[in-house]
Amino acid sequence: MKSMEDLERLKEETLQDIRLRSSSGSPRIVVGMGTCGIAAGARETMLAMIDELKTRRKLDVTITETGCVGLCSKEPIAEIHIPGQPKVVYGNVDPSRGRQIVVSHIINHKPIDQWILNIEEKS
Amino acid sequence: MTLEVGGIIDLSLHLLDLLQNSAHAGARNIRASVIEDQERDLLEITVSDDGRGMNPVEQARALDPFYTSSNKKQVGLGLPLVAQAATMAGGSVSIEGNQSGGTRVVVKYRLSHPDRQPLGDVAATMTSFIAGNPLVDVLFEYKGPKDTFRLDTKEIRAEVDKLGLGQLAFIWETEEKLRGGLSLAGYRPDRGGLVHEIDGRS
Repeated sequence: MKSMEDLERLKEETLQDIRLRSSSGSPRIVVGMGTCGIAAGARETMLAMIDELKTRRKLDVTITETGCVGLCSKEPIAEIHIPGQPKVVYGNVDPSRGRQIVVSHIINHKPIDQWILNIEEKS
Repeated sequence: MTLEVGGIIDLSLHLLDLLQNSAHAGARNIRASVIEDQERDLLEITVSDDGRGMNPVEQARALDPFYTSSNKKQVGLGLPLVAQAATMAGGSVSIEGNQSGGTRVVVKYRLSHPDRQPLGDVAATMTSFIAGNPLVDVLFEYKGPKDTFRLDTKEIRAEVDKLGLGQLAFIWETEEKLRGGLSLAGYRPDRGGLVHEIDGRS
């Protein structure tokens, strides 16, 4: 598999999709990557979410990370920022939960209530 | 605070922690290397950055778990855990912090030491770090039993930018290059001093 060729094809497939989307800004995923996050498996969670976005051909998502937010026992923690919506903080996000959050929350705009730690009104 | 100390089960996770320290110190350029030197029976992990550096107090207390430069928490376990794993494996940690900027951390382990943790998934470490820190340029080098592999995020970014694709395409391409390059250089995630099991996480 030639990866640059793959990317060319992916570009064609998704360019139209990107154009159709409103210019309201893209969703953002923030994963906690302090020592506590790392020890709890945050690396695998982040990679699973990235992989799920790849499977779903979802290119317009930004990924970043943050350090320890003082909720070490709830790590891995992932925040989802969708423009115009409150910031949602999820706890105990293992790779499987991470994938489900990508599909349900980011793609289908349906937050998964039972895993939410906190909702912050200003996004 | 609960922290499962046993959670940092391999050297690639220690590497990730060191990289996070650099990012936290405001680094914009990071050089990281993993060198397996069979002749000298040495495994060496180095991270150097152009971050804000360390003052003499920070440098002296960097390995103390009850010291942290953060004002939000009371402990700083990253470097102490790195040091513990190195000491257990007949190795050492050296930290050269420059007050005017830049820090270099070198961690050594005896390659064949029975208590040396396995390397783990270095490609996952580098990919997740590079993904989470889009403003940091990383130069990574792995010297393995078969070959040397180098990755420069500036080069990959330039390639992907030509296609007009965004951050995620850059991450996918980076991961693919890492996995391919490491494997060609003879990288084996599970090779520890003795055979260690890498537990699946729940």
